[in-house]
Amino acid sequence: MAASRTLPEALAGAARTDAGYCFVSGDTDRWRSYADIRLASLRVARSLHEAGLRRGDLVALVLPDGEHFLVSLFGASLAGATPASLYPPPAIGELSRYVELTAAILRASGARAVVTTRVLAPSFDRARRGCPELSLVLCHDDLDATALEPDVWPALDDIAFVQFTSGSTSTPKGVALTHANLSANIDAFGGPSAVATSTDDIGVSWLPLNHDMGLVGMALGALYAGRPCVLLPPQAFVKRPAAWLRAITRHRATVSFAPDFAYDLCVRRVNDLDGLDLSSWRVAGCGAEPIHPPTLAAFSRKFAASGFRDTSFLPCYGLAEHVVAATVAPLGRRPRIEQISADELTARRVAVPHVGDGRSIPLASCGSALPGHQLRIAGEDGRPLPERHVGEILLAGPSVMRGYYKEPTLTAETIREGWLHTGDLGYLSQGELFVCGRAKDLIIVNGRKYHPQDLEWAVDGLDGVRRGRVVAFGAVRSGGADRVVIVVEPTGTVPPGVLTDAIRREIGDLFGLYVDDVALVRSGTVGRTTSGKVQRAATRTRYERGELEDETLKASARD
Amino acid sequence: MTGPASIRIEDGVLDALKYVSRRPIEPTLDNDLVADLGFDSLQVLELVAELEDRFEISIPLDNLPATRTVAQVVAEVVRLVGERTTG
Repeated sequence: MAASRTLPEALAGAARTDAGYCFVSGDTDRWRSYADIRLASLRVARSLHEAGLRRGDLVALVLPDGEHFLVSLFGASLAGATPASLYPPPAIGELSRYVELTAAILRASGARAVVTTRVLAPSFDRARRGCPELSLVLCHDDLDATALEPDVWPALDDIAFVQFTSGSTSTPKGVALTHANLSANIDAFGGPSAVATSTDDIGVSWLPLNHDMGLVGMALGALYAGRPCVLLPPQAFVKRPAAWLRAITRHRATVSFAPDFAYDLCVRRVNDLDGLDLSSWRVAGCGAEPIHPPTLAAFSRKFAASGFRDTSFLPCYGLAEHVVAATVAPLGRRPRIEQISADELTARRVAVPHVGDGRSIPLASCGSALPGHQLRIAGEDGRPLPERHVGEILLAGPSVMRGYYKEPTLTAETIREGWLHTGDLGYLSQGELFVCGRAKDLIIVNGRKYHPQDLEWAVDGLDGVRRGRVVAFGAVRSGGADRVVIVVEPTGTVPPGVLTDAIRREIGDLFGLYVDDVALVRSGTVGRTTSGKVQRAATRTRYERGELEDETLKASARD
Repeated sequence: MTGPASIRIEDGVLDALKYVSRRPIEPTLDNDLVADLGFDSLQVLELVAELEDRFEISIPLDNLPATRTVAQVVAEVVRLVGERTTG
């Protein structure tokens, strides 16, 4: 295994190879060697230094373009600053609301600079009034000073970057990873016991680079190993899923990861299989959201004729707090599926193979922990559970994040005695992990995680909503994305239909997300005495039992 | 562009909306894509691809944030089809 190295060291190493990134735009491929990328990054580093940024300053990156994002990230790192990735604006929605939301993160995290596009820069400049520590709003294409070799190199224990996964609350969640974290995860994941990459491998990815699987799993994984990686804009994939498969065909790619929804999108929307050749695709990774075995089966069926092999599927489990990957299934094996009795799972929290009548759920094995890492399934008392018992997934080892950026309390709640409490539920069967739910209040739609408190914050400010009387949650649905539900106590000053529309519009604008159900409930339904977490769980239970329905109906009847 | 051509475009856009939507909808011109029709950002891009294929146009993604209603989508398609036929 390669020695631990910092991001600037890995970049310098990659610059000595012939490999590089290929940026795809439409049907055009543009290769840039890692040496070129490093040179451009050194120019950014010099510019940031000249602008007054110093070691440890947080530099927020709001850059939708892949090349601009990577060069700015590397540049900030070479300058000794701490780069932080933020979500770029959604494809639809009001820019002003997006900037407001993002400014809240910049304020709370104490960011010194934001590097963004010429279009977004004026909005961030205006937002500076509310962010006392934000002294610089920079356009990426102005960062073109003469390249100079850095005089200081970061230490392995310095923060390599911060990935913000949460938006609007007063405490944004920024996952802070050290260079040692990054190096350990990348080497274990690419190593012989996991993906077993070599310099002959070619990666293809359309994943967003502000997301761990896109940035670390694909782009940095390739850079650290000095092998090529082809990058497509996420929107190009979503618009035309065939663009992903065509890029794999064109480049004879061997490694490509995506969430479940991407495989589903290909099954539903790729109609023209002419000219597709997926026979080079050695590792078709699947992670970042619950894996639905029927999706994998449908993908294999549809693309078998294009040379796809179901032994290429590599189900994984991971999360940003653990860099990216935590467990990975054995290479070259058809996904291992267990058909589990749904009743036993909910009633006794035991995963019993399904026989006879009753509902059942198919689950895919996500394999075992990466070498040098540990996994444990714990009961509510924190003690390890035997096989087939469902408990919280805990992780330990060199990939466990440093913590949430400037959030010691949150960090101490999440990492206890060296164990990362993932908030995900799973069980072990023959030593392999099956993920079967969530203890944390996360809503997952199309591979992206949304924090309910962000949605609640957005709705709480609207006219016609009683302050603090909003609960958001994801009603988990087997075989599909979560249903987004928002329960609100109305003040009665705004007609229910108008209020429902306003709530949907707000969430659509801010997150590009559709609210499946807005439930307007009688006052007193959503208490405010207990914690958000307790409140959410209680409201969700009542919602799922149908106990909130009457109130909703009464509200719409008055409409 | 006015008259039959723009009516054909309107019908085509309404049909594309129904095709892309994952739930049954009866879209009208004043519907909001997000609040009324339940489109998320993924489906908006899916709609863009569908409209590009149907009308043989290329829709720049920069204009999307300002596009909220079905009427705005129709107007944008009318404009792009006009550019295609005159340009």
